[in-house]
Amino acid sequence: MSVRVRPPRSAVVTAVLAALILGLALLGLCYGASWASPAEVLSVLTGREHSVVIHDWRLPRVAAGAVFGASLGVAGAIFQNLTRNPLGSPDVIGLDAGAYTGALFALTVLSGTPAQLAGASVAGGLIVSAAVYLLSVDRGFSGLRLVVIGIAVNAMVTALNSWIVLRADLDIAIAAVGWSAGSLNGVDWSDLTVPFAVIGVLLAVMAAQARAMHQTSLGDALAVTTGVALGRLRLLMVLVGVGCTATVTAVAGPIAFIALAAPQIGRRLAGSAGIPLLPAALTGAVLLQGADLIAQALLAPVALPVGVVSTAVGGCYLIWLLTKEVRRA
Amino acid sequence: MTAAQRPPAGGRAAGEARRIGLLVGGLVLLAAVAVVSIGVGAHRVPPAEVVRALFDYRGTNDHVIVRDVRAPRALLAAAVGAALAVGGALIQTLARNPLAEPGILGVTAGAGFAVTVGSALGLAGGQGGQLLCAVAGSVLAALLVLAVGRRAPLRLVLTGVALTAVLGGIALGLRLMNPDVFDAYRFWSVGTLAGREQEPLTLPLAAIGVCLLAALALGRSLNVLALGESVAQTLGAGVARTQIVTLVLITVLSGAATAVAGPILFVGLIVPHLARRPAAGSAPWLMAYSMVLGPILLLAADTAARVLLPTGEMPVAIVTAFLGGPMLIWTVRRYGAGAL
Amino acid sequence: MFTRRSTGLVGALALALTLSACGSSDNDADTPGKNDTRVFTADNGKVTIPAHPERVVATGYAVPTLIEAGAPLVGISSWKRGEPMMDDKELATYKKLTKVAGEQASETNYEAIAEAKPDLIVLGVPAPVLGDIDMKRLKSIAPVVAVGPMLPTQWREVSRKHADAAGVLAAYDTMKTTYETKAAELKKKYQSVLPQLKLGHVGSYGDTSKGTFQREFNGSWGTNVAQDIGANYYGKVKKPGPGSKSVSEYPSMEELGDSLGQADAITYSVNADGSVPPSVKAVLDSKLWQNLPAVKKKMTFPIAYTEAATYSDALKTLDAIDTSFAPLLAK
Repeated sequence: MSVRVRPPRSAVVTAVLAALILGLALLGLCYGASWASPAEVLSVLTGREHSVVIHDWRLPRVAAGAVFGASLGVAGAIFQNLTRNPLGSPDVIGLDAGAYTGALFALTVLSGTPAQLAGASVAGGLIVSAAVYLLSVDRGFSGLRLVVIGIAVNAMVTALNSWIVLRADLDIAIAAVGWSAGSLNGVDWSDLTVPFAVIGVLLAVMAAQARAMHQTSLGDALAVTTGVALGRLRLLMVLVGVGCTATVTAVAGPIAFIALAAPQIGRRLAGSAGIPLLPAALTGAVLLQGADLIAQALLAPVALPVGVVSTAVGGCYLIWLLTKEVRRA
Repeated sequence: MTAAQRPPAGGRAAGEARRIGLLVGGLVLLAAVAVVSIGVGAHRVPPAEVVRALFDYRGTNDHVIVRDVRAPRALLAAAVGAALAVGGALIQTLARNPLAEPGILGVTAGAGFAVTVGSALGLAGGQGGQLLCAVAGSVLAALLVLAVGRRAPLRLVLTGVALTAVLGGIALGLRLMNPDVFDAYRFWSVGTLAGREQEPLTLPLAAIGVCLLAALALGRSLNVLALGESVAQTLGAGVARTQIVTLVLITVLSGAATAVAGPILFVGLIVPHLARRPAAGSAPWLMAYSMVLGPILLLAADTAARVLLPTGEMPVAIVTAFLGGPMLIWTVRRYGAGAL
Repeated sequence: MFTRRSTGLVGALALALTLSACGSSDNDADTPGKNDTRVFTADNGKVTIPAHPERVVATGYAVPTLIEAGAPLVGISSWKRGEPMMDDKELATYKKLTKVAGEQASETNYEAIAEAKPDLIVLGVPAPVLGDIDMKRLKSIAPVVAVGPMLPTQWREVSRKHADAAGVLAAYDTMKTTYETKAAELKKKYQSVLPQLKLGHVGSYGDTSKGTFQREFNGSWGTNVAQDIGANYYGKVKKPGPGSKSVSEYPSMEELGDSLGQADAITYSVNADGSVPPSVKAVLDSKLWQNLPAVKKKMTFPIAYTEAATYSDALKTLDAIDTSFAPLLAK
């Protein structure tokens, strides 16, 4: 996706990351309540043998891990480009908090069917992020203003959410907290066709705009002189970033910190100046797949929500930033 | 030595008089809000009974409500409000960032998280242990956030947001392993003053009192800090020492406030912002105004938390979020993020 | 190995489908064979289930019920809430059984359920929580019966349905009769003192929002068993909400006097070991509590096992109530 062709290093990194994704996917297909050998997995994939568990249960989960991880990585890269900050993520625009409100609404007011959960969480996330964006674009755009207004709106929405959880019946409260952790458990092909299509379109749009995005990340002044319609590009970037995250959230709930860490790790690996999209996407896929495997294995047979494990990724990322700062000082 | 001979002195005196006048006005307002807070609640107590409860205590339900529930709770609200406001003013001065706030920077989240983990390990029994855990947590959180985010205001704020989210996520993980711990965390995740007046809290209150006095005493050396490190170094004030003392005050104030009430956002952001204009660049006055405005804000929010619902009450942190959020948005849109 | 077993799963499924078709068309079969099926009405509609299930997976509220009734369980969800109420034997069974799901519906391990090869899955979760579960996938493993309580008193019907689906209605009814006999006995024992009293109940599910207390009315977790022996909890919720909010409310501590001032006697929830949970302790420590007429007359009674969601749990609740109310008769 990154249009800037950099000699060997980025190509090597891309190949290594892709190999890692495939390796983790194979591991994910083998791992489960009982272990399937890679040979068995391959024969199922090639259609020589038939297995409901591998083909209909494990494969969608593995595919979701890779695609959702990639789209979270891209969303993170977009927001870090917008805020010009390594700590920017779709959370700042209030998407996850709004999606949680939607899910709580579906659980407490509606009857909480999967379709309602998905619809209400997307609606909640989009409404809140639209509010944050509209409040922050008045008279030009500033990353800091977006972040500050995001914090203000996030705080209010989070307060509302905790209030609903505190007042809810115990069973509902437990279910809501479970949803808010984010999980790929029980993902089916039928849950994935539409999200995959949406993410595919969004990523294609973004790939077409990758060059322009890199120019803006080098500074607005430069971008204007190279003829980029800034306002439109920004809106497009926000739409793609929010769209990617909202789609993932609708299926899996909020999965924390992949969007935060993936772009930075990818950028370091690729040794690039800006925050390129392709390494971010690949790193995101690796991180989410890895986190999901750990989530399955940690308390097996109980399936832990992947969001709990990905939080650890966020924690490590913060500590890494800290050591970097300490070393610099 | 007439005013005509030294006009600046006369101007300064007039400014000083104005500042003192504003402070007195603030104190009067604080007294009024405190009276309302003691007079209003879920159970209606006639004003005459309120007065009688304070001066002629008979132990009736009305008297118990006024004397043993509302009055100590008002005191808590005032102390926590002052602690959060002064903590915010100090951290803004230290970080030279108008967006710094113990809540936004994750310092209170660190304190709350440490208390939860502490009680799970059996360390946070009693008010002493709880206070120690809270302060230790806020020290670690403050050091981490200030170190990671020291280079840019935006980065500082985002580090705080990320830290808060990480701690929330870990708490969620703990909840899955041990539901009892999580039930305790639910309290530490939403700040409230309700029912806290029944707990023994003299230790954190004393800590808040001492720190507030110290913040006032720190006075002018804070002015130097506000100029920025390079200028301060050339002026030769013991900058490093002032920085350390300020950091200690911030963490003890936020830790103690969190130990008393749980995390409460925005008070430390809004109050110093309101106090800055009348203080006109003087750090001691900023502290003094924050000490008066903080209690006013939290008392008002706590009173609202008690009367907004038909039955039961709302955690005060939800009220402050809905007061502070719109205010922050308005400020950013009105003055821009830089001029906050 | 695994692929073959999975193929087996599909094979078994196909087999089950043909068999169920046979079962329904074969209604007049005299001998109840192990392959008979019947249609069961649950929260998720009409479900064709085996008439005599032999391998049952249970989650949520169905776990304690089916352990007590001795259903042929092959896998259960974790159910920490019920642990304090299980006796040693039940706890041993609970601990020994394979866990195929966590405390939350979203922590369901579908592969582990498939591994357990159940012929029936009983989900004891309220309808809104079903959104977290992939029903289609569970149905591909075995017939799924979902029944969960929306109101506290519904545990009676819900647990009966769980037992009925799992084919252990006989054992269940024995327990139910034991309970009802005991309740009738106690009702008689206390009929001279209990029905006349205006009762109030302080519940323990209030620790989340401090400064409030939980007042439970007729038909709530803390009161429904006591009602069976003739207790009557006066008043009703000021602003009724859905679910348990139609039978309990959370007034501010200040309102303790207004809320329970009329009560002749007050019961309150305590833990299984008799200790007072923090949310209730906050109430008992308050000076307003000391000012209540019922408290001044020493008419307060702790009740343990108020979370009872099965008849054998409720039997313990009856015993606890009997012990606690005994001084009433002495008066």
